[in-house]
Amino acid sequence: MLEVERFTKSYGPVRAVSEVTFSVPAGQIVGLLGPNGAGKSTTMKAILGLVRPDSGSIRVLGHDVAIAPIEAKREIGYVPESPSLYEFLTGAEYLDFISDLYGLDPSTRTGRIGQFLRGLELAGHENSLISGYSQGMKQKVALIAALVHHPRLLILDEPLNGLDPRSAHVVKEVLRSLTRNDGVGVLFSTHVLEIAQAICDHIIILHRGSVVASGTVEALRDRAGLAGSGLEDVFLSLTGTGDLSDVVQALSK
Amino acid sequence: MDLHRVGRLAGVLVASQIRAGRSTSDPRSLFGRPFLLGLLDILLFVTLFGLTSVAVAPNPRLSTVALPLLLTALPFIPLYAVATVLVAGVMFELTATAKFAGSDAVNWLPLTPGEYVAASATAIAYAYSPALALILGPIAALSLAVGLGGSLVLVAALGVVGLFEGAFLVEMVRSATQRIGSVGGRRGRVALVARGAALLLLILALQLAFNPVFLFESLHGLAVLGSLSAFIPLFWATHAVTLWLAGDAATALVFVGAQVAFTGVLLGLAARLRVRYWVVAATEFSFEAHEYARRHAFLSALGLSAAEASIVTKDFHGLTRRREMLPMLVVPIVILIVIFVEDAGSSTALASIWAVVIVGWAGGFLALLLATTCVGQERRALQTLFAAPITGRSVLRAKTVSVLVPALFFTLATSLAGTVLFGLSATESVGILVVSSGAAVAATFLGLAFAARYSDFQERPRPQYLRPGPMAGAMISGVAVLFGVLVPGAFAFSAGGSPGLEAALVCLGVAAVALGVGLFSARTGFDRLFRELPF
Repeated sequence: MLEVERFTKSYGPVRAVSEVTFSVPAGQIVGLLGPNGAGKSTTMKAILGLVRPDSGSIRVLGHDVAIAPIEAKREIGYVPESPSLYEFLTGAEYLDFISDLYGLDPSTRTGRIGQFLRGLELAGHENSLISGYSQGMKQKVALIAALVHHPRLLILDEPLNGLDPRSAHVVKEVLRSLTRNDGVGVLFSTHVLEIAQAICDHIIILHRGSVVASGTVEALRDRAGLAGSGLEDVFLSLTGTGDLSDVVQALSK
Repeated sequence: MDLHRVGRLAGVLVASQIRAGRSTSDPRSLFGRPFLLGLLDILLFVTLFGLTSVAVAPNPRLSTVALPLLLTALPFIPLYAVATVLVAGVMFELTATAKFAGSDAVNWLPLTPGEYVAASATAIAYAYSPALALILGPIAALSLAVGLGGSLVLVAALGVVGLFEGAFLVEMVRSATQRIGSVGGRRGRVALVARGAALLLLILALQLAFNPVFLFESLHGLAVLGSLSAFIPLFWATHAVTLWLAGDAATALVFVGAQVAFTGVLLGLAARLRVRYWVVAATEFSFEAHEYARRHAFLSALGLSAAEASIVTKDFHGLTRRREMLPMLVVPIVILIVIFVEDAGSSTALASIWAVVIVGWAGGFLALLLATTCVGQERRALQTLFAAPITGRSVLRAKTVSVLVPALFFTLATSLAGTVLFGLSATESVGILVVSSGAAVAATFLGLAFAARYSDFQERPRPQYLRPGPMAGAMISGVAVLFGVLVPGAFAFSAGGSPGLEAALVCLGVAAVALGVGLFSARTGFDRLFRELPF
């Protein structure tokens, strides 16, 4: 579904991502984890064609993003790390606008948007300007915008940011349902490792622009030699930031 | 009032003013520090003082020329200070992006409304102080040369008071306009339009009232008012300087005291208005239920796809709902009103030439402003368009229509107004519309070419949409194109015969070249822009 092969990207002298290779199969949720600045967002943007690779290739459902970006984008639903919405539109106007951009059939649009608005408890607020929304409400609009056109691949950069527990639960269940029942592939980035552990079928850990580990949670535990540990310990161990006692001690003074 | 706290907050607000308009905001650089404005004040004053001194030094007839000029100009410098801060403050401070204008932190910091108003007004007065330095430099040189140096101290001091007076008035307007949108509990489309229209009218009224052309008229009115004007606080500083220059120091000082006291009253009023009308949370505007997948019949008829039409509709919403867009609408309208008022009723042979140039200029300038800023207006939300399955060419088509529809509508309206005011024939009226529309189209593509290459997507209180250097380039080349099309176009009307035909050909040629270059440049620019997200 998604094939990223030897993707490399530099910003000036800084190499943000180096020779990253991974894939997202249909019907799987793949977690892309890593410390701040590891290259997660750059990788996700490259999949959308927002960032041009210096080298390497990215294919979405067989479409090379560099050659056929429109065909690739048509299949993707994307939630950016910090959704910048058009705040002078109402939630309904924004979602209608997004539906037009993706060519969503007018007859199914109303029902589908309505379902999502009710499911995420935004119904009743959709005719208010987005500028008056809370951060969580804006995140819900961004999520609906990513899901409304039946994408076959979801690129979700911190999608649960600011969501209340009920909505976060709904989103997680929707993702599970989409992958199991509809074969949607999901690339999911989060800093909340409990969430990654709970919903991801496969984990990729990026550190300083390179893949340092890839596999199921169990495989990563084995690799880190931390059988029985949580993903947090495994993550800290694999990214070389395991012993933080000095930092904690200094900050506690 | 804790003056130390006021000073600290004013410093922060000044830093915000300085850094808000810059793409790089390194606080350690000279250009990121609040004292920069003070330095600029000194530099402007000293440079202009020096240049004027050198220029007037050898002139033995100076006093006969400069003295009457100074006796007229000096009393109005404090009024100039008030006008500058009020006009620019309402135009730029009140139209700052709503997201930043709230400056939330002050709502929970331990500050009284009076302290906040004093700090904010100080920051505004300081931000616009270079305008005072700009005029005081040459005035000081002339005053010293003709022996009016003593009066200069009083004028400068009242000028500073004027800066604060204007700043307090801006604060009052800021607080009062916070609630326009929710008057009577209406928070729908009508309320949003009411807020925009009220702010637009306010800016227009201030721009016109303090426009040099109309200000001169009001000064004439002041002379007519005579002693009655002594009861208008806005003119007390003017009276103080006039009396001082006439040698009546005692009465002058009474007016000085009254002016300072009035400024204090304005501070109190501004603080009370803030308490009364300031809203911590952004007003929530709710509209009637949205109709999904509505057909854009007009836009479809222009050949736009559903996605392109949707972008145009979105841009139209932005034009009418975003406060920061108001200055863009105000500038061409002010220019137009001022010129129309000055030249209406002219029945000379030049009337039709003027009409073409004025109408075409206003519409073309609006097109240029909208086109150069239409990509930068997307700001960070540009990534929505990038992530969507649409091409750069599609976005270019949408943006072209987003700019041309309001610009051509404005051109049509001004053509009709021009026809009535200048008493033109139907043929002349149609001709004006054709030439003006051609100029607007050429300006649109030129602006889009700049927008595709040099847009600024930074999120800040006072967005600039296009980087400053290219903006200057776009304005200079745009104005050149507008006049290159309009002047020969206008001449073609009045001359007739062979010279008229030649002028018409020049007009068409310039328009065709500008259009061709602009269109080609815009297309390649949008192709390049959509290769990679620029932030």
